[in-house]
Amino acid sequence: MAKNVPITRLGKFFGEEDFNLEIDMGQEWLIGDMNFTCVLYRVDKNKIKIDDVYGEVLQDGIKFLPPVEFNAYVQIVAPTNQKIGSTKIQQYEPGNITMSVYLKTLDDLDIDINLGDYVGYYDSENFVRYYTVVDDGRVYSDLKHTYKGYKPFFRSIIGSYVTPDEFRAL
Amino acid sequence: MALPKKQVKPYLPLTYPKTLLARRHQIADMISNDGTYLPKSLLHADLDRGFLDFVKGSLETIVEGSKIPVVDILITSQNWSQFVETWDFQNIDKNVEPPFITVIRNPEVKYGNNPSVMYNIPNRRTYYYMQVPTWDGQRNGMDIYKIPQPVPIDIKFTVAIVCNRMREINKFNQIINQTFASRQAYQVIKGHYIPIINDGMADESVMDVDKRKYYIQKYDFTMMGFLLDEDDFEVSPAISRTFTMFEVDLKTKKKKQRRPIPNVPPSTTLNYEVGVIELSKEFEYTCNLSLIKSENVSSYDIYINDFYYGSDLFEIQINTNDLLKIVIVKNDVNLVSVLEFSEDLL
Repeated sequence: MAKNVPITRLGKFFGEEDFNLEIDMGQEWLIGDMNFTCVLYRVDKNKIKIDDVYGEVLQDGIKFLPPVEFNAYVQIVAPTNQKIGSTKIQQYEPGNITMSVYLKTLDDLDIDINLGDYVGYYDSENFVRYYTVVDDGRVYSDLKHTYKGYKPFFRSIIGSYVTPDEFRAL
Repeated sequence: MALPKKQVKPYLPLTYPKTLLARRHQIADMISNDGTYLPKSLLHADLDRGFLDFVKGSLETIVEGSKIPVVDILITSQNWSQFVETWDFQNIDKNVEPPFITVIRNPEVKYGNNPSVMYNIPNRRTYYYMQVPTWDGQRNGMDIYKIPQPVPIDIKFTVAIVCNRMREINKFNQIINQTFASRQAYQVIKGHYIPIINDGMADESVMDVDKRKYYIQKYDFTMMGFLLDEDDFEVSPAISRTFTMFEVDLKTKKKKQRRPIPNVPPSTTLNYEVGVIELSKEFEYTCNLSLIKSENVSSYDIYINDFYYGSDLFEIQINTNDLLKIVIVKNDVNLVSVLEFSEDLL
């Protein structure tokens, strides 16, 4: 069993209780007031059937665990109007989504977000757009993701738009 | 002192390996083994899988008792698939932990340079491959299997080793150089021998002062494969029974009698008895007469078809059906006269 080492930095004016209080207040704001809700579709890597060369599945072949709703601070980059590569085909490419999620939220829901998982975010009541996780923010040791250097408290997860050809939650 | 580490052959081979035609038959059997009589289809995914197997098998690298793991898929667009093949050598950050070997395939696949199958048969015509006996319950027959010429393709692969120790890249480099000592190596994919050529290598090691240091070495390979699609194969029934018939004309025709071949005498002799000064002869052929003998003849006049031809000539041209008449003047009227001509049939 891993040995727990208490965090004593900033101990003169900050500690575990203060940290937990700040997180609770932050969650109250994010979940209670803001309530940005995403739906996480975790890829079930045990059940998914892939080909043994490219590790790909065809449309609607992605098996996922039961979807889980979670709250995060959501920012979506503006779409870009561009051509696909060097082709003359023009498209309006939706921007990436960045979801800042409390570590405590993930712990409470007993979920983890991994590279390649899918996230659905409702643009409107009847339209959901799906994103695939291209950066799961797993390494959160930097100062930005810690509470004033005391301990990490959130992850920044970046998702990139996927077409229904890859995933449509079926 | 160096000692052999590999086991010496525990037995002596009792049979010679097959060569020439027998070897070709053996390779053909490999191609169609465990299947139909037709060769197995060979497409991009098969070639890619074959190259991954080549890296896993022929380029297996063991350093200090531990095998350097190979990422056993070609990472494509679906992000989660990386985890499927690397979960057993990831660290706590779910990053793949060096050392490891990974394979990158260049997406573009160009027309191949394999000289044995390029640009020599146009229009994808199918050719006889094999005839297979059939039995429909009543009679024996044959099916003709035809296949088109395979289409050559070159697939470029890059094999990268990522590691933290020089001895690991040394070992990997040694294996590659030994495997490709003859420039190329072969991988058997579905029974087909596919050549792989080593195109060179590059070092992308990260040795920055303020970053994590690790080695990356990339080796470029070209797989000179070919495409053989089973959808292009043709199976057609051969002739199982033949019925031969001759048609003849029953009407009898009278056979036209052939003209007899003229019996050409070598010479013509005209004997003028006593009291005779004129003789005639009809010729059924064309010839030249040359005087070869003249006895008791003072002079002679020649007529052909009663037309005067000449006097005392040594050569006379005769056409078919000509009537030759020669009138002579004898030296002695009480003796027999003779004129003899040789005949040159024309």
